[in-house]
Amino acid sequence: MVARSTGFWGCVLALSFYFPLSLPAAEPLQPEVSDVATLKSPAPPHRFITNSGFGAGAGFTFFDGDTGKMEGNISAGYIPNLAIAPDSSKYFVSETYWTQGARGERQDWVTIYDGPTLSPVTSIRLPSRALVGKVQNFDINASGSRAYVYLMQPASSVVWIDLKKQAVGGTVELPGCSLVFPWGDQGFSSLCGDGSLATVTISESGETKLSHTKPFFDPNKDPVYEASVVDRKSGHALFLSYTGLVYEAKLGATPSVEKPWSIQAAAGLPAAGTGVDELAWRPGGRQFIAYHKASGKLFVLMHMGNYGTHKQGGTEIWVLDTKTKKLVSRFPLWPTPTSGAAGSQHPPYYTSLGVSQDDKPVIFLLNPDGNDQILDAATGDVIRKIEAASGGSVIVPDL
Amino acid sequence: MPRTVFDKAGERWVRHIASYSSRRGFLARLSLALAAPTLPLLPVARAAGAEAKAEKKTDFERYSQSKDDTKCNYWKYCASDGTLCSCCGGGSHTCPPGTEPSPISWIGTCLNPDDGRSYVIAYRDCCGKQACRAESTCRCDGDDRELPTYRAQLNNDIIWCFGNATQIYHCSTSALVSVAN
Repeated sequence: MVARSTGFWGCVLALSFYFPLSLPAAEPLQPEVSDVATLKSPAPPHRFITNSGFGAGAGFTFFDGDTGKMEGNISAGYIPNLAIAPDSSKYFVSETYWTQGARGERQDWVTIYDGPTLSPVTSIRLPSRALVGKVQNFDINASGSRAYVYLMQPASSVVWIDLKKQAVGGTVELPGCSLVFPWGDQGFSSLCGDGSLATVTISESGETKLSHTKPFFDPNKDPVYEASVVDRKSGHALFLSYTGLVYEAKLGATPSVEKPWSIQAAAGLPAAGTGVDELAWRPGGRQFIAYHKASGKLFVLMHMGNYGTHKQGGTEIWVLDTKTKKLVSRFPLWPTPTSGAAGSQHPPYYTSLGVSQDDKPVIFLLNPDGNDQILDAATGDVIRKIEAASGGSVIVPDL
Repeated sequence: MPRTVFDKAGERWVRHIASYSSRRGFLARLSLALAAPTLPLLPVARAAGAEAKAEKKTDFERYSQSKDDTKCNYWKYCASDGTLCSCCGGGSHTCPPGTEPSPISWIGTCLNPDDGRSYVIAYRDCCGKQACRAESTCRCDGDDRELPTYRAQLNNDIIWCFGNATQIYHCSTSALVSVAN
């Protein structure tokens, strides 16, 4: 009987754990408001933006590199480009649409987005724009008062936009030249097919002046990459050639280009040549050159290959001091698990990178599949991985 | 003399260009841009000349094949960038249904592994539909003798659908033009 009684109360005790007595409820959950987030302002120091695709579904994705979280998106048209206002108060998107999707009337625009809300403010109709997936086809000047759009049709030209008036200011024809590298507020430079720089100065009243430097590189043997970088404020530019020669330039109304130095020589290795059987460490990828302005450090994705492997992604990041022209670090990268847009012709290595401009910089690294990594720019250590499938290129705000 | 396939194709191409140039005048203006003194003329001749001097094989030429035109290493694709039309309902020089070839192209020079000759290849985009979503092994990027966009006629990143009804890129073809040397 005692044993039976103990078993009964034991069962009651056990059941009480499964079905606890209901207690008086706290306040019920409150109804939720369907509100809309805004981007952090000022921008977090390690914000970066990636582009995604070039056709239907193209756009830009914002990330906070410190949390790894997506902050927001901008949807865009065909082969879009993005430029960021100096204070991140606005974003400028150049884009192309056809009125019936893949057919109909073509329309080219620069659309201005409000920074915190990522909502469109207005769109400015363009006469045309180049349909080439190059970051350097579109940019703004140092203060953000003008935008420059490279176009190829009907002739190689640059359309400039007065962003204060939100209207096209004019068109400058640039036969044989392409891309825009803005300097200051007054003008931009372009790279030309004869190895020279074209310099365009646009006055306050809109008068344009075009001049050319003497050719400073051989476009047939060792052309400079379109992915070269310029500091819009100072006009300090770094043009990197297929073999790895760095041409430092001061862009402006009267530009100057210094004698090149070799990034292989900076690493104590022989300078790479132009032989198709000449194995060497070489730069390559898609958007694979980044520059940290305050420290003067250059970050380049490098791979081992012959001449002609200029689109092959990197297996290492080389960090170079542009002041001493010496290699500072080599960061080996682990191969990515799957191949991507580069398909079977290239090993699945990293194709794009960017570097934040703060005093504790990080590297934003992309592979063709869009798996992003955040690296400590001082040590190369991987801080975070983000499986974002965002592809393309990295765009980093100026701070 | 009976007309060859090349004669017929050439006639079709010329007629196609003529139909556009008369209506839009676009090609005339593009030609003016390309004929600027800072750009070399006659890209076909130039590409051929470059190859004639090259004796050593590129990475692509070392591993190219002539049997399967749905693979990136098919010999004509040495400077082809994009999705192969042969994976999208077309062929190595044939656009898929409902698309149209670009009237102008970029130019490459590829080595045929069977006869050891180099051939000039015209890389024409097929235009008018959104990008073909073929498997990743059909997305290729051959870079032999490829140059940046400021040397437009030897660049393979440009969407070459100039003059087409819609300048939307669908896939890439590689049409043999002639022996290079």
